[in-house]
Amino acid sequence: MREYLLLLVSAALVNNVILARFLGLCSFMGVTTRVDTALGMGMATTFVITVSSMADWAVEAWLLQPYGLGYLRTVTFILVIAAAVQFTEMSVRKLSPALFQTLGIYLPLITTNCAVLGVALLLVEGRMSFVHSTLFALFSSLGYTLVMAIFAGLRERLALADAPRLFDGPPLGFITASLLALAFMGFSGIGA
Amino acid sequence: MQESASQACAPAGEQESIVRVVAVEADCAWLEPEQGTSCGGCASAAACGAKGIGTLASRLEARRFAIGRASARGAGFDLPDLRVGDRLVVAIDDRSLLQAAGLAYALPLAAALTAAIVAQEMSGSDGMALLAAVAGLAAGFGVMKRAAARMAARGALQSRAVRRADAVHALTRIHRPGS
Repeated sequence: MREYLLLLVSAALVNNVILARFLGLCSFMGVTTRVDTALGMGMATTFVITVSSMADWAVEAWLLQPYGLGYLRTVTFILVIAAAVQFTEMSVRKLSPALFQTLGIYLPLITTNCAVLGVALLLVEGRMSFVHSTLFALFSSLGYTLVMAIFAGLRERLALADAPRLFDGPPLGFITASLLALAFMGFSGIGA
Repeated sequence: MQESASQACAPAGEQESIVRVVAVEADCAWLEPEQGTSCGGCASAAACGAKGIGTLASRLEARRFAIGRASARGAGFDLPDLRVGDRLVVAIDDRSLLQAAGLAYALPLAAALTAAIVAQEMSGSDGMALLAAVAGLAAGFGVMKRAAARMAARGALQSRAVRRADAVHALTRIHRPGS
């Protein structure tokens, strides 16, 4: 249990995908105008990162490593991620068309989210077991969702602030993001 | 939901999105969401109008939905007033959206992870854990299907028309002088 807790703190807070590794910045700035939108996007990304990391683990352990195909890793993982997104989209659409109508817009955006590929490549470096790698992917994406929700909450408040015109909009967003990254630096060293 | 000018004017507790009328029938109007973007790159990719499997245009086509006469009247207009190409603002309850996201993503994932951890603890084999995760995912999707059907029967997943989109843009211009 302590092992899983350390993995959670390390993946979600200390090595946060957005604020420590600077992955997934496009959705971080683009889908964080409202907390609910950010949470929805976070849940969809969590699902895709975790499911594609399961498939990536299998491909790495049973195909790329045994046959010495490591040089095809990035291309293969991109293919696996695209397939995972397409599979999820098709499953949700077939199983519940109404749910697909409501949520379908999140999934196409995730295919090009570099956080998904980034986490998959980090898993290879870690050389973990299946369950550990899946949990690492889940905790990393929970960290992503946490930061998305916090940043969206800050931006909702900032939208009401009477900011100087020079800072209004994206500049204020970037300054806030940098302060948030500084705050997350406080987690450095925990669990080391 | 897409980032749009309408979000700035959306009341608390609701997500708004802009849609385009693609067909008007006697008792309903078919609507298609305008492309959602997380960055400018996606928006320009959609502007090319490419069609085919996997393109944004085909995805938007797949997400067409209908509103009935009652929904249109609730927004202050009638179905015969609508023309193909008109832009409307539709809304869905925030809570419903989050519940839907939880159902579609969190539930199958939780089932898959639980099954994988149990299988790993019992067998100690990565292969068995992977098989159990796939089985858990399938079971989670099964539960999701039933729960989503219940939500749809309650009407919780149905968007409703709020107003015409042109009014939103006028309001946005008033609120942001100089832009």
